[in-house]
Amino acid sequence: MDIELIEIRDFLTQHHPFDLLPDEAWDRVLSTIESSYSRRGQVVLEAGEPCEYLYIVRTGAVETRSPEDDQVLARLSAGECFGVHALLNPERKAVNRATALEDSLFYMLPADEFEALRRAYKQFAYFFAPLGAERLRDAHTHANVSGDRDQLGFITSKIEDLLQREPVVIDMGTSVRDVAQKMRENNVSSLLVCDDKELGGIVTERDLRDRVVADALSFDAPVEKIMTPNPITLNANALAFDALVTMSQNNIRHLPIVRDNGDLAGVITNSSLVQHQSTSAVYMVGDIHKRDTFEGIAEVVDRLPQLLCTLIEAGANAYTTGHIVTSIADAATTRLLKLAEQKFGPPPVPYVWGASGSQARHEQTSTGDQDNCMIIDDSYDPDQHGEYFKAVANFVNDGLHACGYIHCPGDVMARTDEWRQPVSVWKDYFSKWIDEPEPKALMLSSIFFDLRGVWGDMSLLEPLREIIAEKAPLNRLFIVHMVGNALTHTPPLGFFRNFVMIRGGEHDDTFDMKLSGVVPVVDIARIVALESRISASNTFERLSTQIDSKVLSSSGRRDLLDAYEFISITRLEHQVKQIRRGDAPDNYLKPEELSNFERSHLRDAFSVIKTIQSAMANSYSIG
Amino acid sequence: MWEVLKGLGLRRRWLAYKAAGNPMAPLYATPRPSPWTPLEDVEFVALDLETTGLSPGKHEIVSIGWIVIRNMNLVYAERGHWLVCPEQDVTGESAVIHTLTDDQLAEAPPLCDALENLFPVLAGRVLIAHHVKVERSFLKRACKTCFELPFQVPAVDTLELEKRTLLRRGDHIKPGALRLDAVRARYNLPRYKSHNALMDAIAAGELFLAQAAERAGRKGKLKLRDVSR
Repeated sequence: MDIELIEIRDFLTQHHPFDLLPDEAWDRVLSTIESSYSRRGQVVLEAGEPCEYLYIVRTGAVETRSPEDDQVLARLSAGECFGVHALLNPERKAVNRATALEDSLFYMLPADEFEALRRAYKQFAYFFAPLGAERLRDAHTHANVSGDRDQLGFITSKIEDLLQREPVVIDMGTSVRDVAQKMRENNVSSLLVCDDKELGGIVTERDLRDRVVADALSFDAPVEKIMTPNPITLNANALAFDALVTMSQNNIRHLPIVRDNGDLAGVITNSSLVQHQSTSAVYMVGDIHKRDTFEGIAEVVDRLPQLLCTLIEAGANAYTTGHIVTSIADAATTRLLKLAEQKFGPPPVPYVWGASGSQARHEQTSTGDQDNCMIIDDSYDPDQHGEYFKAVANFVNDGLHACGYIHCPGDVMARTDEWRQPVSVWKDYFSKWIDEPEPKALMLSSIFFDLRGVWGDMSLLEPLREIIAEKAPLNRLFIVHMVGNALTHTPPLGFFRNFVMIRGGEHDDTFDMKLSGVVPVVDIARIVALESRISASNTFERLSTQIDSKVLSSSGRRDLLDAYEFISITRLEHQVKQIRRGDAPDNYLKPEELSNFERSHLRDAFSVIKTIQSAMANSYSIG
Repeated sequence: MWEVLKGLGLRRRWLAYKAAGNPMAPLYATPRPSPWTPLEDVEFVALDLETTGLSPGKHEIVSIGWIVIRNMNLVYAERGHWLVCPEQDVTGESAVIHTLTDDQLAEAPPLCDALENLFPVLAGRVLIAHHVKVERSFLKRACKTCFELPFQVPAVDTLELEKRTLLRRGDHIKPGALRLDAVRARYNLPRYKSHNALMDAIAAGELFLAQAAERAGRKGKLKLRDVSR
């Protein structure tokens, strides 16, 4: 390359994707480009006309509009490209009209050279891939490599990967002596007790101490006398973090792990986990369970912003971060319920405390509004039990409020009578919402169809899940309305200098990452879940479940996942920056905060969401 | 008017005859675009010379930068940045004005060789420079010295074009207002930090595109005569 042209090369390499071109490519680029100039208002490319170049804005600005309805599609400033669509179709005809908004100088890369570069440099080609999803995947690997995974590697690993040995199993009826001998032989501190291959209990060293030696029990006594029957178990796909939380919450040291098919996979012990882990989330959960007052719990929850920073700076992805941050809300809820039961006595009839909204989805990023409800066993008698549950609900709602999970402005809380009801009433609610999808019902559906039990008798949720699974997929009117609802929030078109471009040529100063980025994807994932009877409430899990969906193809779901991850992580990084500056975290992103790399990837994420939204609108004849 | 054009044509033919076998022959043998040629069909060469001073009698050319404009696009594939070995020792002054080192210049070909390569580039094309008088006077003198022939090439001066635009608008021209960087800024063209002959040729070429676009905005489709007067 002529050193004389270094300034032109420097300009281009400041902009994505030209920064991806290696040194050896530049000789060719600078020996093939051309340059042209357009006055403000001049049409640079006319839709349908041949386009022989990739245009790169050097100075000035350009607006592209669709030829059909003259809608603004994008505004481009220095370093941004247009003519891409034209060059990707074999006819090389401009798809949209491009007009200079200001006096502009362009660099023009000839079509053949553009193609040669895309063939030679894969990363460069990704940038121009039609849907942009490839690029987003690329951006993830980028981000994941750069983050420091060491700290997180452990608590975000799957339990399956941490199990060190096959479970050591004994049969029911084995004597206490044989239990101790088997422990010695295998050098383990616990045994799983099976009844015809079914897990019936767990026996630990501590049981031998407390229930055999201390109580002078006969060594010939059967293991049933000392074991813990029907122990709490965890799925092998759960995270090590979940195991720690489960053990911490239940004050146990051994946790049997089962596979999806019900087979025993092994045992995770407290000591094996604690010696590894180094992140504060688990300590926070443990700490919350030691606190006895609102203030005490609030003190721990106050450390949440710090936790968020630690996670994001260590390179955690949005899924893991949501999971861990939400576990703090779960711990606070559980602790408050335990305190309530200490204060008001044990529940007179079984109930389950349900979380809805982002807590149900494991997608919290900070404390925010609380959304919750109580589902009580049908043996509930309002006259007899009403006061008890009302008192518990009030106590927990107020406790959460004191911790920063403020009272829900829409009163979607267990303390509201309507949302503290027996199963049969909830069944009627759900049936009605599905059968008569009027606006309020749709709003409530989108809150309560993300529902997860936090504490209590989880089996009470089953009848509600059944109703949803039975009715929702078959009720087309309901699905159509949910789709319509999901299309009310749309992502912006992109960025232009320090503005966010929105439909109709309008612009905003900030991008609302929650309402215009996260919510549209969450809504789509909920519909996929309803339609395909997916019980997961987390958006990532809903979209990565292997199913045949009429709403969204598997490649569409994969693209949407990537878009969601990129928007979510951008939002989290934005919040971490605010926390580090001492500001309150929010969802409003100013374009000037974004690097060129982030801008172009966000634009890709928007286009993935928009494409899927309009495909849904078409197949349900909405819009 | 017609007489003048006819006269020039005759003179050029006479020069072509006289230049047969001379390295300058292509310059006169290649037909020139007529003033009525649409601008898109004219080929231009934006050119800049770096010299040791402003006086062709005393100072020397040390580098030549050029780029072709075709279909009103700058074509980077056809460009050049040539160093010229000066006859006199230029240590001192050149080091201040130029980024070229004495060693680089010492290895470069002499001016007459560089010019031989330039004639095929200029043949049939219209020269563009900012304040073309300087380029023209240096090239004229060099051609006389090396080849004993006059340097006759049609040219467009971006400085002249700008002056006329400002005067037509009735603007008072402030000192420095016609300098290349100042004029470029008025057209929203980038400010270049480097000032080698090639970047300055590119800068003049871009300015010409901008000026032509501005005129086309007022007058519609342009012919060569619309920018050469």
